[in-house]
Amino acid sequence: MQSESARMTTAEEARYRIDYPNSKPRATKVIALDAPSEAVVKRLAQGQWQQASFFTSLDFDGAPRSGENWSMKAWLSDLAGRTKDLIDEVASADLVVMVASAGTRPKAAGVIAEACGVRKVMTTALIIGSEEHTDEELSRTLAALRPYAGMLVIASNDDYIEEMLVALRA
Amino acid sequence: MLRKEQNDLLTQTGPGTPFGQMFRCYWVPALLAEELPENECPPVRVKLFSERLLAFRDTDGKYGLIDEFCAHRGVSLWFGRNEEHGLRCPYHGWKYDTTGQCIDVPSEPIESGFCKKIKLKSYPLVKIGPVLWTYMGPPDKQPPLPEWEFSLVPLEQCFISKRLQESNWLQAMEGGIDSSHVSFLHRGDLGTDPLFKGAKGNQYNLSDMQPHFEVVEQPGGLYIGARRNAENGNYYWRITPWVMPNFTMIPPRGDHPMHGHFWVPIDDHNCWAWTYDFHPIRALTKEERAAMEAGQGLHCKYVPGSYRPLANKDNDYLMDRAAQKAGKTYSGIEGFAIQDSSLQESMGPVCDRTKENLVSTDNGIIMARHRMLRAAKAFMDKGTLPPGVDPEHHKIRSVSIVLPPDQAFKDGAKEALTRRMGMAQTTV
Repeated sequence: MQSESARMTTAEEARYRIDYPNSKPRATKVIALDAPSEAVVKRLAQGQWQQASFFTSLDFDGAPRSGENWSMKAWLSDLAGRTKDLIDEVASADLVVMVASAGTRPKAAGVIAEACGVRKVMTTALIIGSEEHTDEELSRTLAALRPYAGMLVIASNDDYIEEMLVALRA
Repeated sequence: MLRKEQNDLLTQTGPGTPFGQMFRCYWVPALLAEELPENECPPVRVKLFSERLLAFRDTDGKYGLIDEFCAHRGVSLWFGRNEEHGLRCPYHGWKYDTTGQCIDVPSEPIESGFCKKIKLKSYPLVKIGPVLWTYMGPPDKQPPLPEWEFSLVPLEQCFISKRLQESNWLQAMEGGIDSSHVSFLHRGDLGTDPLFKGAKGNQYNLSDMQPHFEVVEQPGGLYIGARRNAENGNYYWRITPWVMPNFTMIPPRGDHPMHGHFWVPIDDHNCWAWTYDFHPIRALTKEERAAMEAGQGLHCKYVPGSYRPLANKDNDYLMDRAAQKAGKTYSGIEGFAIQDSSLQESMGPVCDRTKENLVSTDNGIIMARHRMLRAAKAFMDKGTLPPGVDPEHHKIRSVSIVLPPDQAFKDGAKEALTRRMGMAQTTV
């Protein structure tokens, strides 16, 4: 007599797996951290998404540093140009994806990551266009983002972002 | 998740399939050299990429990998007689050389030249180190031989095994680049397995259970870096190279041998999980070799006379619920290899990736799929040779290293990530 594992791993048995939606849409906030990545995020926003929303970072100069009182006012802009409160957006997110271009120093990353840290929201950072930049430029952006991202991806071209968001059911 | 057509593309490797054609651009391990131990030894049945083949070693020591079946009446040549420079079908005596060329048809006059018109499909079979490699693509596109470090070191520095895995190749390979499962599935073995224990890096692993990841493209595939906190604000990095489509090398631990895998499709429901161990600068010790032969480390014990793991789906992988409850093993299954294969086989013959829910720490897997899909499109549309075929892409190493927090691992470990024959590995 076959073991249970042997019987249950056949192609025939695979047909009986329950066909039922096993997850609810997750809220993914995609934030462009600099001007070059803003164009990429705007293009991405034209696609069909379940619960992804797209932003650009606005003014983070006045935000407090780590350890200071959490009374910050940092702003995002949605793609229609409306100003959005960072804290509110992070509060309703399951995942925050920050998009930066190689060679930039994305100063907004620290504030966004801190907001995510308070709300226990996962952060992923993507650096795009790395082939067009020197190793030094890439390393500078990497070093700027490393402390603020649980997952950091360096992609040679921007079509990876779309692929990743689809894979994550954004 | 993947769309169904993407999943089908990456998991179907039979003749004529798009990804099967691309996979045939590579040299792949076909057999252990020990399977054909001497001239005129018995032939061995081989199935690769859904093709039934037969490997044999002739009177002169030449290796051949040919269609398993006689061109006359379709008899399996596994029953053949390996004699006098060829393999003779026992049914009517037709005989073939290592290239598949028929060299004798006893019922036909030699003068007729009939046998010259009969040729079985064949592929090159080349011994490099302890492995016989084959290339199953178009002969005019045959690339240079592979140059993986484990296959180039002296034999006393290397140990290689293979095991049957009863699942599609892709779910097996994806386990190899899924760094975050180690802290769960294999946590019980890091401190006890003789081929892992004692390394300082293990302490970093066990003291920081929430590693951060970085995924970086490299010419042959990816580097997947996992970082954990080390002393004085530094980071402990474990960097796994993945070379397209089916090679990984696991970051080293202390002075233990380096190791990794190849996954080679047998058909769409089975694959060979190849496991290599090697030390770059010294012979394996008697104790290390004995542990590997006993199925420790990444190797396994076998059903006698086969390459099927002793713990397999027919015996529920020797599940030990008491060991699971006591925390001796996390899943109740013993050994790294079977811990992986039991779960990967439980997904079914071909994992349905339309139903999965990936998270951001799965970016290594997402990027690997992205690279393969991109390469397959370029191959199908323009005939572009995929990454990983060029032997330059084989000259890599895995690394474990402590680096300052502001240093990118691809810079700080640049030299260490490059194969350096005769030089020690970079390890913690």
